[in-house]
Amino acid sequence: MTKKLSLTPYLFLIPALLVIAVFVLYPIVAVVYYSFTDYSISTPPEWVGLKNYQQLMKDPIFWQALSHSLIYLIVTPTLIFLSILLAIVVNRKLPGIHAFRALFFIPAISGSIAVGIAWRLMLDTNGIINGTLLSLGILKEPIQWLAEPAYTLPIAMMLTTWLGVGYYMMVFLAGLQNIPEELYDAALIDGCNVWQKHRHVSIPGLRPQITFVAVISSLAALQVFNEIFTLTGGLGGILNSGVTIVFYLWRQAFRLNHAGFASAIAMVLLVITLAFSIMNIRILERGTEAD
Amino acid sequence: MRTRLFALLIMVSILLSGCAQPTTQVPAEPVKETVVVTVEVPGEVQVTTVVEEVLVTPTPGPNPEAVIEGVEQNAEITFWTFWLSPTFNDYIKSTIARFQEAYPGVTVNWEDHQATFQDDLRNAFAAGNAPDVINLSISEGWVSDYATQGLLLPLDDVVPQSAIDMYFPNLWDQQLVDGTHYQFPWYQGIQVNLVNRQIYDQTGLTIEDFPKTVDGLPALCKTIKEVTGTLCDIRLTVNDLLAQMTYEGGVQVINADGTAFTFDSPEAVAWLQLYVNMVKDGTVDKTVLVTDQDRVGLDLFTTGQAAFYNTGPNLIREVRANNPGLYGYLAVVPAPVGKSGVVGKGLMAISVKADTAFPNASIALSQFFTNPRSMLEFSKIVAIYPSTPASYDDPFFSAAPVAIEDSAKPYAKDAVSKLADIVPTVPHKADVNEIVLQAIQQALFNNVDPQQALSDAVASANALLP
Repeated sequence: MTKKLSLTPYLFLIPALLVIAVFVLYPIVAVVYYSFTDYSISTPPEWVGLKNYQQLMKDPIFWQALSHSLIYLIVTPTLIFLSILLAIVVNRKLPGIHAFRALFFIPAISGSIAVGIAWRLMLDTNGIINGTLLSLGILKEPIQWLAEPAYTLPIAMMLTTWLGVGYYMMVFLAGLQNIPEELYDAALIDGCNVWQKHRHVSIPGLRPQITFVAVISSLAALQVFNEIFTLTGGLGGILNSGVTIVFYLWRQAFRLNHAGFASAIAMVLLVITLAFSIMNIRILERGTEAD
Repeated sequence: MRTRLFALLIMVSILLSGCAQPTTQVPAEPVKETVVVTVEVPGEVQVTTVVEEVLVTPTPGPNPEAVIEGVEQNAEITFWTFWLSPTFNDYIKSTIARFQEAYPGVTVNWEDHQATFQDDLRNAFAAGNAPDVINLSISEGWVSDYATQGLLLPLDDVVPQSAIDMYFPNLWDQQLVDGTHYQFPWYQGIQVNLVNRQIYDQTGLTIEDFPKTVDGLPALCKTIKEVTGTLCDIRLTVNDLLAQMTYEGGVQVINADGTAFTFDSPEAVAWLQLYVNMVKDGTVDKTVLVTDQDRVGLDLFTTGQAAFYNTGPNLIREVRANNPGLYGYLAVVPAPVGKSGVVGKGLMAISVKADTAFPNASIALSQFFTNPRSMLEFSKIVAIYPSTPASYDDPFFSAAPVAIEDSAKPYAKDAVSKLADIVPTVPHKADVNEIVLQAIQQALFNNVDPQQALSDAVASANALLP
């Protein structure tokens, strides 16, 4: 019996493939090409071979930006911990609990630029945070929070966490509600206290969600830009204290007009994010097989 | 057919009402025309029907504002402005309408771009659809940036001398690239310091005591901090630090033949040391000091948190709109002058892209927007200053100032006539500026000796030279 090849499924795929080819594949190929050129966007690219990559390896600000991006990954475990905690808190049948869930979710639907500007105003020398700390006697003089290199990255990470925690809380909440109640009953019969109940039932039950959040939030952390841009007024922080790899890419491409060099940075970022994604998928597959 | 038509005559009569020739002063207004169709049918009653009424522009007569010859028929050009909409929509649209009366048949498509102007423009050049006529900033050095890339049209051989003579020579001669002109000088600003008297007067100083030179700022900031607890709202020109060094510090940034950078001279170190001292004394807002966005500094002042801020009188409107309570306490003083003795360079220009399909129409539009009449009309609606001496002959400029925005009006012509771009053309300007910015931050915030920071920066910058 011979199989008859049908074209119909492929015809249905063509529109999606075209969109992917134009908006994903072509840009990737173009960036690979530009990374070997001297390109200023407004003038045609000139082939320079490996010069951009050699320059990148010798560029101290690139390594500083890369280290900041890796430090930024701290937001991932922080987000997972806080989101699970919040999900457990709101996973109760209490009056008005829906309102609390909605409140925690609001930052997730707020624009990161608007939120960044709001935080910048709060952290201003004469902002509400200094005002509160001064009135409580904790500070004697206002601190220029965003002008202190030591604070730039932690503040941006705090902002990313604040923005994301509500969204990931909903993911974990959905996961918690899928865990059979019988497992908690069995844990109680076995003498588990509240902490042990979550340690031995909730956390293992949330494993797929934890993996998902770990992948998504770590990729987002590696690509952080909006928070840095808005908090530092486009400078990247004093002494490059808030410059991450995507921010450095943007600065090179759109401030200094080095689109070729920026493409080389993009290629390095692509390799890193690809490695992260593969690693996370492997972990996910291993976890699924174990289950 | 009995009712055979012997003839069908369609006559369109155009009855012009108020059809006066356009005069030199009164622009021709569109007039209403009545289109009438008359149908004659033999043996029957003649029927006349008014079909429609339309607006048309009468054929233009000689127009003194039409000074560019050879404007292409049916040209369609695009004009980009920087951050003028929606506030000045009426002005821009009415000026374009007047232009189209002077040069009938030219279509102008106007777009205003704001925070993303530079990104949009670069992308437009890359995509091959850049605007024909572009509003570029002189103060940010955009004209020389784009001209050195060969993206702007050289004007020397295509603009008649009579049009060139309309401008202050110092403004026409700004941002030359290899001695070639690439810009029509547009509206100018006069740098002033806006003073918040609610804070400033607490120091016991009078407005007359405000420093006349940059050297006087550290002492003033120290007094303000000690008496009022507020920080000075001073911003480095982060996007063009070499220019700031040149004007404020009297620094020669590159040697005469352009083969080596020299911005580690004693003058440059002294200039940097002034800011290092202010940071060490804790008298300046550090966030504002190194931001590249003027709005950050302006916002701090507008919210009533700073004693003074260096800006143009045109931005007083921001204070009035956002904090009317502060507006009543404003004073305006001339901006302190640096060691160069030059107050500053011009503000805005209009250029034409190199490969425009309609060079004459584009030049005509650029010249039209910067002619004395257009400039004067613009000055009347916002505190900007014309680049054309003839505009100042209008009584508007000789009238005594009423509003605080008009404080600079009496001396505006003199001030604008002295604006000058004294910064030499610097190769790899954006890269060198980035090197200088990093070095300055090291000195300001990382305790690196200013001499060491600048010498290291000069070494890095020299490595970029051939």
